[in-house]
Amino acid sequence: MIFAAILGPGFITASAGNDVGGILQYSQAGAQFGYSLLWVMIPLAIALIVVQEMATRMGTVTGKGLAALVRENFGVRISFIAMLLLFFINTLLTSTEFAGIAAAAQIFGISKYLAVPVALIVVFLFVLRFDNKIVERTFVVLSLIYLTYIGSAVMAHPNWHEVAHGALVPSFPFRTVGWIAAVVGLIGTTISPYMQFFLQSAVVEKGRRANQLTAARIDVVNGSVLAIVLAGFMIIANAATIYLANQHGAHIVANTVSDFAAALKPLAGESAAVIFALGILNAGVFTAAVLPLSTSYIICEALGFEAAIDRTFEQAPVFFSLFAAGLVAGAAIVLIPNLPLLQLVLFAQVLQGIVLPAELVLMLIIINRTHIMGRHTNSPVANAIAWTTVVVVGSLSVLYVAGQFFPRLLGSH
Amino acid sequence: MAFTQGFISDLVGRRATVNDLTIGKVADFLITSPDDAFPPIDGLVIKTARGLRFAPMDTVADVDRNGTVALTVTPDKAAPSDDERLYLVADLLDKQIVDVNGRKVVRINDIEVADTGGRLRVLAADVGVGGLLRRLGLRSLGRRVTPVNAPGMPNSMIAWSAVSPIREANPANVRLSVTQNRLARLHPSELAEIISELSAREAAAVVGQLDDETAADAFEHLDVEKQKTIIGDIGTERAADIIEEMDADDAADLLGELPAERQSELLAEMNDYTAGELRELVKYDEDTAGGLMTTDFVWIYPHRTTEATIRKIREIAPATEFIYYLYVLDKNDHLMGTISLRTLLLALPTAFIDRVMNTDVVSVAADTPAVEVAATIARYDLLAVPVLRDDGTMIGIVTVDDAIDAIMPGDVAKKLPRFTARHHSVSTGVSSGT
Repeated sequence: MIFAAILGPGFITASAGNDVGGILQYSQAGAQFGYSLLWVMIPLAIALIVVQEMATRMGTVTGKGLAALVRENFGVRISFIAMLLLFFINTLLTSTEFAGIAAAAQIFGISKYLAVPVALIVVFLFVLRFDNKIVERTFVVLSLIYLTYIGSAVMAHPNWHEVAHGALVPSFPFRTVGWIAAVVGLIGTTISPYMQFFLQSAVVEKGRRANQLTAARIDVVNGSVLAIVLAGFMIIANAATIYLANQHGAHIVANTVSDFAAALKPLAGESAAVIFALGILNAGVFTAAVLPLSTSYIICEALGFEAAIDRTFEQAPVFFSLFAAGLVAGAAIVLIPNLPLLQLVLFAQVLQGIVLPAELVLMLIIINRTHIMGRHTNSPVANAIAWTTVVVVGSLSVLYVAGQFFPRLLGSH
Repeated sequence: MAFTQGFISDLVGRRATVNDLTIGKVADFLITSPDDAFPPIDGLVIKTARGLRFAPMDTVADVDRNGTVALTVTPDKAAPSDDERLYLVADLLDKQIVDVNGRKVVRINDIEVADTGGRLRVLAADVGVGGLLRRLGLRSLGRRVTPVNAPGMPNSMIAWSAVSPIREANPANVRLSVTQNRLARLHPSELAEIISELSAREAAAVVGQLDDETAADAFEHLDVEKQKTIIGDIGTERAADIIEEMDADDAADLLGELPAERQSELLAEMNDYTAGELRELVKYDEDTAGGLMTTDFVWIYPHRTTEATIRKIREIAPATEFIYYLYVLDKNDHLMGTISLRTLLLALPTAFIDRVMNTDVVSVAADTPAVEVAATIARYDLLAVPVLRDDGTMIGIVTVDDAIDAIMPGDVAKKLPRFTARHHSVSTGVSSGT
């Protein structure tokens, strides 16, 4: 029972945020930029809490998922475009989860051409045969593996003074493409657009009411803080090991996923690679199961198709087709020979960061409508923080895209 | 009118003219009698430079084939916003409705209107892929899809007469227009299934449209979580009315899940008899005979003749759910014996009850665990087992249905056929309607 109480939708959503993309994005940020990106996590934590609280509030007050609200407020066209985008990005994200599974398999010396199809079947059976609650809880327990990053960060004896400096003193090397990509990627993976849909649906599913808003808020803050703390330690662990080693002339290029296992060496020693692989595998399998499934739910909710896992294919053909398509396509992408898995993963996070402002704008419009939210419309503070997030992320995204087209606009590193 | 049949997506956004001068665009359609089989459109909302204006239907001279609307006078009134009225675009398009014949919740992609008898009427709601494509601006593709309902694709058109709008206004001022309630025609279990598909607020709105008894019947098929959410939304007085109509055991289960304060609030709203009965039931643990039992059973005196007893049952039993077993009690409510309806009917009219009753009674105590209760019922092939206090006084019965519910996983049990007929008058032939 205590377990169920701790595992609120906010907590689970935050844990789901530490997927393969998250682990690799945070690792990359630490390995490449040391402690200098740590400070980004603090405003990001505030933005994450505000955005997730908004989704929770919309769910409790309206009793409807975000997709349903978008459809009812903006009509078919905007919903359709949003859903198309969501399907595209989530399929890409699903493929990053399979990329994680492939990478983990490689560490164990198993070919991705074997591992990915097997994982696909396992995930399929998971979703269709098992009680989701059990799967969910297994995953959350397994995600305690990520706590090893805290141990590793501490045991690597980072210069805590530098850590504090990196966390508290913002630095803005705007003129480098790599920096902007890393920041947009951090934002995208921390405040994933699909997460708001996921969280709000979970809140609605739980039947939370407006008078339980306080409890729901506590849940959101707990989950967000935990996610950010873990992310912070992933950055520190990688900064204190890989980044530092490179500063001293080592050449851990962190070009492949498994290179990040080095970050766990101070704690885990020779078994670092194994622990890293297990963490990635756990994140990959769970998210690969949850992502296509919830995407399919969300799209059916928006477009008015029958959606429920306990229906037959005949009863809910669109639902099952979307689920299967997202899952299989996600797995298939990874099977492309010579695909740079790490680049694929990091690109997907940046893409999330790029579409985030659009999603936030839709949310902000809905949440400020009195006839929908009653007296629970956004406070000026929440509006200010959310709009600032929109503007900052939007500008960085524009800068990033511009940098892709006009490489000389920005420096190369 | 040249426009004879089409979809409102064809008309929305089209020009509205007075004397061939464009004054604005068609924005919405008003119907004031949504309960008609095919309600007439009573006016249009025109988006003009000076804001939204309302044009009653008698000022509409012509709707031509391209959807241009010619008006006789410039509309100058603001659009009425009365809750009694229904706007096709604002209230229905993109919203969820209940498909009464299909018994499910669907989303409206488009609305079909046609000129019948000189008036533009609402014919059907388009919930299919065709409507979706049309709204997306892919008209030609939409046209190709519309006539053929691809296998497995949702059936695209629902006649308006089979549509029940879910009108959710602000919880503060819910006023519902649906008088001739289409939802009430559904079987309670189907109604319950629909309610579980709805958002909390919509579910409360739907329950708000039902009479107490129908709502109570549907409630009995819902899981407790959903029940709790809904009663949180519909106000104490209404919630108490519905709970009063529920079977005592289901009502007690629901009350048992609520905080003590809320419990007494609700009980205070009920009549003293029901409240007293429920207070008694709530005391027992949900998983014991006391928690499963209903206090609604037929008891009779031992010294009457069978004939007199049958007469008495005709008088008192119509409101009782379970009348297959009759329980013979003495003055102190001690259980002396049982008699089945069958034995009663076949016995001599002049025979006394205590001569024909079965005195070898199987019973359970109030704190007997549910599993044991079910086992007892199964072992002795009973339809119900009496629940006795330690001193032998009878306080209720556990029916076979409720015993099964208690030992089966929740969603399975709710889907099983019920043996004991609920005493509402709805027949199982739901689709026929009345």
